[in-house]
Amino acid sequence: MSASPSHFQQKMQNPLKSLGLGKKIGDFLNNTKFLNRSLSWYLTGWRAGIFWGLVALFLPQLLSLSSNFLDPTYFAPNVLLLDAILCGIYVMLALGLNIVVGYAGLLDLGYVAFFVIGSYTVAFATSGIIRNIHSQVVTIPAISFWAAIPLAALIAGFMGVLLGAPTLRLRGDYLAIVTLGFGEIVPIVIKDVPFFYGALGFQVPPAPVINTPFGQVDFGNPLDFSAFYYLTLAVIILIVMFNILLRNSSIGRAWIAIREDELAASASGVNLVRIKLMAFGLGAAIGGIGGVFNGVMTSSISYDQFSFQVSISVLIMIVLGGIGSIPGVILGAILLRFIDVYVISTISTMLQTNIALANPANPFHFLVSFNLNTTKFLIFGLILLLMIILRPQGIVPNKRRQLELQGVGLAPEELSVVGEIEREESGASAPPDSVEGLGDI
Amino acid sequence: MIVLASTSSGIFIQTMVNGITLGAVYALVALGYTIVYGIVELINFAHGDVFMWSTAITLVVLNSMHVSTAVYGFTLIGLLLLMIVIGAVVSGTLNVVIERLAYRPLRKAPRLAPLIAAIGVSFILENIAELWLGASGISYPDFFPNGGIVLGDVTIQYIDVVVVVLTVGLMYGLNMLVRSTKMGKAMRATAQDPEAAALMGVDINQTISFAFLVGGVLAGVAGVFYSLVIPVYAYNVGFELGLIAFTAAVLGGIGNITGAMAGGFLIGVIKALATNYLPNGSDLSDAVVFAILVLVLALRPSGLLGQQVPDKV
Repeated sequence: MSASPSHFQQKMQNPLKSLGLGKKIGDFLNNTKFLNRSLSWYLTGWRAGIFWGLVALFLPQLLSLSSNFLDPTYFAPNVLLLDAILCGIYVMLALGLNIVVGYAGLLDLGYVAFFVIGSYTVAFATSGIIRNIHSQVVTIPAISFWAAIPLAALIAGFMGVLLGAPTLRLRGDYLAIVTLGFGEIVPIVIKDVPFFYGALGFQVPPAPVINTPFGQVDFGNPLDFSAFYYLTLAVIILIVMFNILLRNSSIGRAWIAIREDELAASASGVNLVRIKLMAFGLGAAIGGIGGVFNGVMTSSISYDQFSFQVSISVLIMIVLGGIGSIPGVILGAILLRFIDVYVISTISTMLQTNIALANPANPFHFLVSFNLNTTKFLIFGLILLLMIILRPQGIVPNKRRQLELQGVGLAPEELSVVGEIEREESGASAPPDSVEGLGDI
Repeated sequence: MIVLASTSSGIFIQTMVNGITLGAVYALVALGYTIVYGIVELINFAHGDVFMWSTAITLVVLNSMHVSTAVYGFTLIGLLLLMIVIGAVVSGTLNVVIERLAYRPLRKAPRLAPLIAAIGVSFILENIAELWLGASGISYPDFFPNGGIVLGDVTIQYIDVVVVVLTVGLMYGLNMLVRSTKMGKAMRATAQDPEAAALMGVDINQTISFAFLVGGVLAGVAGVFYSLVIPVYAYNVGFELGLIAFTAAVLGGIGNITGAMAGGFLIGVIKALATNYLPNGSDLSDAVVFAILVLVLALRPSGLLGQQVPDKV
């Protein structure tokens, strides 16, 4: 693999080296390839694929081992597994939004709307309870959880197309504001339209029990989430495979074409509206599937769980991990959930239980009453802003996207570099048998 | 915003009057969107939060001055002007700083990057305000005396008159600024073609900063007006108001100053009517505004006053 010209430029502009501060430190700080190469090596390619695939496959067993060294009152294996499932739901959302933002280059700021639609679809469809226009309860024939998944995907995808059809003809930034509004409006409509049970919330029936030749499998068992974990994992793998197939299809190439140069793509015969609608609809459908899992997992849904913050969190996951890169967005989702669930709550507990801080004379006493939920979103906002300014390609960059975001005009020789990298990676990566480890084919 | 009228036609006209007052606020915020979009073609998502920061800072200043009741005469004029200046300075500075730190480094990046940065800035501004003043609403010291011109069933509050007159005056000033000053010429030139303008000796960075300054100043003034009309501070007011004002800018034709003004008043009236006449109106009126946004974008994306190729700034 030959070094890209941008890499040479970075070496030429190494300020520390010219200051005589030593080659090693300078290279370490300036050579982004160090970070790209080694981190990508750990996260993409066939070795990483096998390793992370095994980790994902045996996660329930690994977590039950953890009770040997973690205090099970705080870190019960089953609760950790629940966190992993919720994280998996965000991985689904990130993969779905990645189609819209990463592949097609459209900014969707109301992705939570499709999440809501999925959650409420599974709630209504599997319980069979809805309300008519006079707020009276009406029962409809309930369908099974398994049928609810494609149904939710279908409805969410349809809503996506419905929303996208008038706005996708316009410039990308209008889409951003329309989706922003849509994400705000959907929870309001749910709250105020009696059909949706409004502010009362809605109980979602648990996932079903199925009989297999090997015995009963209970997906809704709250004492052992491992069956549901494997279900989530299987769906994530399917979504990842779907993403890869899409990206390598003619549709995927059309997405990349419109992302890089809409005019040229249109001139080459790409139907812009159709191909954008496809990205928007498919992204929405995956958001709907995420919503189904969320609905079943949280068992009680209400409008206030679906705020603008969810849309932005998913966007931050993508930007953090690497726009357009499948291992990147998976890593971004896991990382942000980890920061959210463990790091920030740990800091919160540490501040609240710190004896020195409890003293009102301590100048940092105010930290005790810090609203960590707000601080969390402040931190998330800073992550988003700093990443997009300083490292827009994300932690695990997609090569083509990286060159684009660095503002490198794709000169012919650079294009050949991209092709080379992509060929090399596709040659080396593992067959799609794992979640985290899929190479950026 | 009290509907005092008793007859149905009175209620209707009173709602219209209230709508026009709020519409003036929307128009001022919409002008900020339109000017910035006209020049750098960026939806400044943080604009609503820049507006909110004006309400926050003037709230804190008023509280530190121990103003809690209505004041009269020259004190009123002085206090009103002082608050307008403080709001304008705070929001203007904030907008310029945001441009310098977040948008300028991304000017050559793909379109998606500055948009995402704008969302990040909006998020940060909102959460800093929430950390600082808390998440619950705070009542704003309503120093403007109640009372107004009574026309039969309808009362036109003095504050309504002040807000509308000052807003129209500001718009006239802005029009003059863009049309007949050197800076205005530079703004129009940059909007048309930044590179060509730079070759003609226009300082692009300075011009863009100035556009952000003007937008911020107008949002700051709008913040003071809004707080006097609806005297409650909330950290998240900017989000919703930003969306409404952006709709106003699109409705009027984005990049068009008169259009933003007309759109603001129109949206104000429509929203007030929806709030008053729809069940759960205060929530659903947002849905109505959103529906207008989608309809305008679908049917006439250039807006009411915009031409097919909008006359930028």
